[in-house]
Amino acid sequence: MNDGQISGNGAEQRLEERIKELNCIYGISAITQDESITLNEALQDILQLISQAWQYPNSTYARIIIDDEVHSTPNYKETPWLQSTQIKHGGKIKGIIEVGYLEEMPAMDEGPFLAEERKLLKAISELIGNFIAQRQIRDRLNNNNNNINKAADKDDWEIILGILMKTDPRSSLRITRRMIYHLYRIQNEEIAAIVNSICQLDEADSEWCGINIPNPRKDIVALKKIQAEVFKIAKDALPPEEISNLFNMWLKADKARPLLLASQKQSIPLTEITSELNRFWDMPEDARTLLPEDDISISTALIRRFFTSRLDFINNAKKYIGVGDFVSLLKTVVGPPEGEGKLGGKISGVYLAEKIIEMEKITHEHLRDVKFADSWYITSDTLIDVIHYNDLDDMVHIKYLDPSEIRQEHPFLEQLFKNSIFPPEIEKGLNRILRNIGDNPIIVRSSSLLEDSFGAAFSGKYKSLFLVNKGTLEEKRNALMDAILEVYASTFAPDPIEYRRERGLLDFSEEMGILIQKVVGTKIGPYYIPAFAGVAFSNNEFRWSPRIRREDGIIRMVAGLGTRAVDRVGDDYPVLVSPNKPDIQVNALVDESIQYSQHFMDVINIEKGTFETVSSLDLIREYWDVYPIITKIVSIHRDGILRPVTGVLMDIEDADLVITFSGLIEKTSFIKQIKSVLNILQEKMGTPVDVEFAHDGEKLHILQCRPQSFGKETVRVPIPKNIPNNRKIFSASKYVTNSHIKNIEYMVYVRPSAYDALSERNDMLNVAKAVGGLNKALPKGRFILMGPGRWGSRGDIKLGVPISYSDINNTSLLIEIAIKKGGYLPDLSFGTHFFQDLVEADIHYLPLYPDDPDSIFNENLMNMAPNRLGELLPKYKDMEHVIQVIQIADISDGGTMNVVMDGEANDALAYVMPPDHWTWRMKKVEELGNMLDAELYGVEAFYVFGSTKEATAGPASDIDLLIHFNGNEEQRESLLSWLHERGVKLGKENKERTGGQTDDILDVHIITDEDIKNKSSWAVHINSPHSAAKKIPLRNDN
Amino acid sequence: MADDGYNAFEIEQEQFDRMADSLELDKSVRDLLRSPIREYHFNIPVKMDDGTFRIFKGFRIQHNDARGPCKGGIRFHPQETADSVRALSMWMTWKCSLVNIPLGGGKGGVICDPHNLSQREQENLCRGWVRQVYKNLGPDNDIPAPDVMTNSQHMLWMLDEYEAISGGRYPGAITGKPVGMGGSLGRTEATGYGVVFVLREALKELEMDISKTTASVQGFGNVAQYAIELFIKYGGKVVSVSCWDQNDQTTYAFFKQDGIDLKELRKITNRYGTVEKSRAEELGYKVLPGDDWLKQDVDILIPAALENSIHKDNVKDISNKVKIIAEGANGPTTPEADEHLYSNDVLVIPCFLANAGGVVCSYFEQVQSNTNYFWPKDEVLGKLDDKMTDAYYAVIELKKRRNIPMRDAAYMIAISRVAEACHLRGWA
Repeated sequence: MNDGQISGNGAEQRLEERIKELNCIYGISAITQDESITLNEALQDILQLISQAWQYPNSTYARIIIDDEVHSTPNYKETPWLQSTQIKHGGKIKGIIEVGYLEEMPAMDEGPFLAEERKLLKAISELIGNFIAQRQIRDRLNNNNNNINKAADKDDWEIILGILMKTDPRSSLRITRRMIYHLYRIQNEEIAAIVNSICQLDEADSEWCGINIPNPRKDIVALKKIQAEVFKIAKDALPPEEISNLFNMWLKADKARPLLLASQKQSIPLTEITSELNRFWDMPEDARTLLPEDDISISTALIRRFFTSRLDFINNAKKYIGVGDFVSLLKTVVGPPEGEGKLGGKISGVYLAEKIIEMEKITHEHLRDVKFADSWYITSDTLIDVIHYNDLDDMVHIKYLDPSEIRQEHPFLEQLFKNSIFPPEIEKGLNRILRNIGDNPIIVRSSSLLEDSFGAAFSGKYKSLFLVNKGTLEEKRNALMDAILEVYASTFAPDPIEYRRERGLLDFSEEMGILIQKVVGTKIGPYYIPAFAGVAFSNNEFRWSPRIRREDGIIRMVAGLGTRAVDRVGDDYPVLVSPNKPDIQVNALVDESIQYSQHFMDVINIEKGTFETVSSLDLIREYWDVYPIITKIVSIHRDGILRPVTGVLMDIEDADLVITFSGLIEKTSFIKQIKSVLNILQEKMGTPVDVEFAHDGEKLHILQCRPQSFGKETVRVPIPKNIPNNRKIFSASKYVTNSHIKNIEYMVYVRPSAYDALSERNDMLNVAKAVGGLNKALPKGRFILMGPGRWGSRGDIKLGVPISYSDINNTSLLIEIAIKKGGYLPDLSFGTHFFQDLVEADIHYLPLYPDDPDSIFNENLMNMAPNRLGELLPKYKDMEHVIQVIQIADISDGGTMNVVMDGEANDALAYVMPPDHWTWRMKKVEELGNMLDAELYGVEAFYVFGSTKEATAGPASDIDLLIHFNGNEEQRESLLSWLHERGVKLGKENKERTGGQTDDILDVHIITDEDIKNKSSWAVHINSPHSAAKKIPLRNDN
Repeated sequence: MADDGYNAFEIEQEQFDRMADSLELDKSVRDLLRSPIREYHFNIPVKMDDGTFRIFKGFRIQHNDARGPCKGGIRFHPQETADSVRALSMWMTWKCSLVNIPLGGGKGGVICDPHNLSQREQENLCRGWVRQVYKNLGPDNDIPAPDVMTNSQHMLWMLDEYEAISGGRYPGAITGKPVGMGGSLGRTEATGYGVVFVLREALKELEMDISKTTASVQGFGNVAQYAIELFIKYGGKVVSVSCWDQNDQTTYAFFKQDGIDLKELRKITNRYGTVEKSRAEELGYKVLPGDDWLKQDVDILIPAALENSIHKDNVKDISNKVKIIAEGANGPTTPEADEHLYSNDVLVIPCFLANAGGVVCSYFEQVQSNTNYFWPKDEVLGKLDDKMTDAYYAVIELKKRRNIPMRDAAYMIAISRVAEACHLRGWA
């Protein structure tokens, strides 16, 4: 930046003045070129321009007297605060020009006037002089068709340049530089020579080459010489109109300079950048221009300022978000005027998506009708502002409290928040938002900075609240503020804090942007709902058929509000569709379609002002005639099939309606629309996306968009590479979806060969019963089920264990094993018998093909393990040859099993984990406590802290112990030697476990009563909010 | 399919052999009836939505058509085997014979999983199936019907293909069609009503006044609801029904001493037959564990839900008051339980007979389709009553005469009628 030394408001003000002056000169030059107006009209316009160019336009008057004819601004009055100059041409005085103020203004360089204004006045007088002379010549040669301009001494641009050189040398230099670039670009040879010579000859002029900091003042003479040469070359090389046009454009482009400077400022306050943007944008369109390079620097800076500093985001966003977008965006942003807050992850995602779709609409037919929900935004620092404004500053420390304390305190804290008030300027902003929204119901969503910065899955951790938005403005505002405060309070709720603690994000200063959206929908009876809504994902993590690929995506949709599709409600089912293969339905059978259909609907009751769940079919029947596109949403069940709703011979009261969306899927372009949205967003954002949508019956509205990996279920965990073969249990490489199941304690394995050999149907039914029994006996979510063929077979139950969903609903993973039979590989079920139950309960499915040469199926290890079936269910002990229950601890020295499923690589691996370093250490510490004779060694209390306590211990970590000691020196010594002995022993044990070298693994710190009193030394760890030590029970304790 | 282990066809053959022994059938008839008379195994090429082709394996197995054209369903199942289709086709022969309708037994199938097929692909598959075997189908040869994972839509596609090839309208070529498209009225009621028609006759036999009897029903689906409807119409009292609760993933029994009110219970029942627990309680029903349905002090038990629901462990819970068990479901009583009930003089009306109303109605649909004249519902149900009643008396007569369980009697009647037809035709 060549004006780098200018900074602060004074500088900007000066810059503003320069721009006004330039506007004036440019304007006058334009007027003087206009052949169509009379001299008098021209002078009148010029006066108008002059009065705007001085420092106090409101009290500026001006007068021009030429040949005794007086022209003046309407407010002309004689005052003592005035400056004037003569208008000359060809050495003769033609008249006089005066500019003055109507009232006294603070003293500046020349009376109340700036030095620049004097220069400007002179330049104007010259322009007018030239102009009058031209007109006189033209008049004289009235009927002669000579070129008037040629008759004059100079071209316009030369006059402008001359003026600039006098009044604003820097601008003139900038124009010079641009001219050099321009000439360079059109490959003018002479200019190349000049540029070379500058670089060689004069280091101080290196500004020309774009290196180093300029120092123009010192060498202004040299520069002027070069300037003159440059324009000489230009004059020879380019026709005058072209130079005029270039000047024109550059001068216009200069108007973006204040904005450019402002945008580059780190954390520029909200009001400042807003007014800068508006000032620029409010200029008439033909008076401003944004060079591509300025546009991109400003928008990039603004993206960083309002969205995120993540480079990948900026890099992408700058292609779609321009300066003009920010002008309209900021009209919808509310925040502390002096604040520097951002808008947060959720808003960034959906805003970028909107801009991408807006641009791609042009070429993608199916995107044309896609809309985005009307939205308003509150900056993230408003949260902090509210905290300060209400003296809630101690809130920010809450995250360091013990989880149980946070949980206990939260309800009170939420109330504290809800009783807070907003700073008046925010309240005003909210009023503005509400006036814009009108009476439409709204949803208040959180948009956290953490979600954005770390890609952490905060979905559903913070609150989103619906508001009916009814009543007087004040009532509406109070409700809105209440909702915002509740969302704020959720920042301090135990679950998100726990989540952050687990991921080491606790120290991040979490702020929360707020997204306020109009709820998309229509009024249906007392309700306000979209016709349907839901969520669509680029990647399908629950495939129901081998014909569906992971990248085919998935849509979950419901009639009414999308909450039931976004969340898993357990007892109700959304319709699942693969956007790329809508014909491969999850529920191929009519009975399944009916069983797994939506029975309830979430609605906003605008009459009662409540959010309700009602029977979907009752609502549909009651409001059949007004429910938008209802015939596309439901089917009629008759004669054992589901039929579309057609014709008039239909009695809705008695019809057996089922929500299937089959009309929507088959007869409308909705699927194509969603598919285009997913494809375009994935392509342009460079990541699979997760899109929430709602449809009002006419148009598809996008409500949210974020990278799919931010969702809680879909974080990709790659297969660990360094697992020794003897710890691997099985692997798979077909139809794998993303999932990571940790800490599995049991594996229930129905041996395919043994099941196949069962000759009695009853025996097979008994296997199912035993599995059902295990499902109740084993810890929920801590076991997996593996069995032959199709779980849940009916009829020919030889094909798979005939369980029902309730027999397996506590498992964490359902595995079907396909074993070749006489050269033929049976199809697996993919869990289709109860597929949607699995989805809603988040139970994953994995097929195994042990006959694949590359797959691992460690039957040896499984066979070695004792069978726990008889122990768990004595009744089924005789079935141990068919069902093996393996306690993972038995095959892993007390460890657990992990199953990592990496859908992207289509690989899955199950392996046993020895007990982790932390658990092992903690166990050893507890054993130590149990062995330590407190009385003998004078030990008051025994603590552990550091990595063992924080559960972050690695293979070589020490165990940090804190011993509150109150014995004598002798006791102290024997205590230390006792601990050393134990430490060495444990070190050896650890070496055997991990191979890592540790001599004495115990790091012992002795503290006394004194230390605790003074909180000195290690004693701070006791009761520290950050890294409190954990007290270990001693043998002598009760 | 591996050779060891459970094989439905072998079990069916063993059962047949046992009955054939009792009937002292000739070897030739045994050989003829022990396995299907004709089998068609064929490939069906289907052009998939993505342009590729897949070849599906199809079957039609005609077990016996001595008494008339074959009749039986078409199953779509990924692990369908020829043996399971054979077993089922044999079963169809006996079923048609038992209710004395002039039809033989058949069954067909395609190895496929409809979950992996689009509607269009399924349509292509249905049409392809017909093209491979249409010469051996038709109202005079073999009449398919819906079965596992197929429905009336599949039947209409098949019929359309059959008619397109044959160049005419032959609604009698397929059954299970929607009303108005060649389907029969009364089909919904047929199975449930059929159960009660035979039950009514059995009560007469035991000299019990149906209007003074009580019953407990397992299940509240289609069969159970219509059985209850007719039973109440006859003046009987149903004190308890049980059903599956999807939310709680368990079964409950709903009990009312004064008898359930079908109408009010239907109102609080969703379409899969789950009664809303809380509202039932409000209406004065006692909600009991599902298994309690068979512990009630009633005269009649109607298991109309799952197979194997009366087994050796719970058969002793059945009250001494119970005189009749009418099997509305398929195979609800295990052989051990069956023996126990027989020795305790409980009359078990075997599923084979009790739930044959559906097959009879299919036959009626065929008859109506062939004549292109469709009867009012009352007429259908009246004719159904006649068929069921006749079938009942044939069975009970043999049972009494030879002092055997009803199940065996039914089996023997069915087999001997087919054997006789073969004999008369000079086949054996």
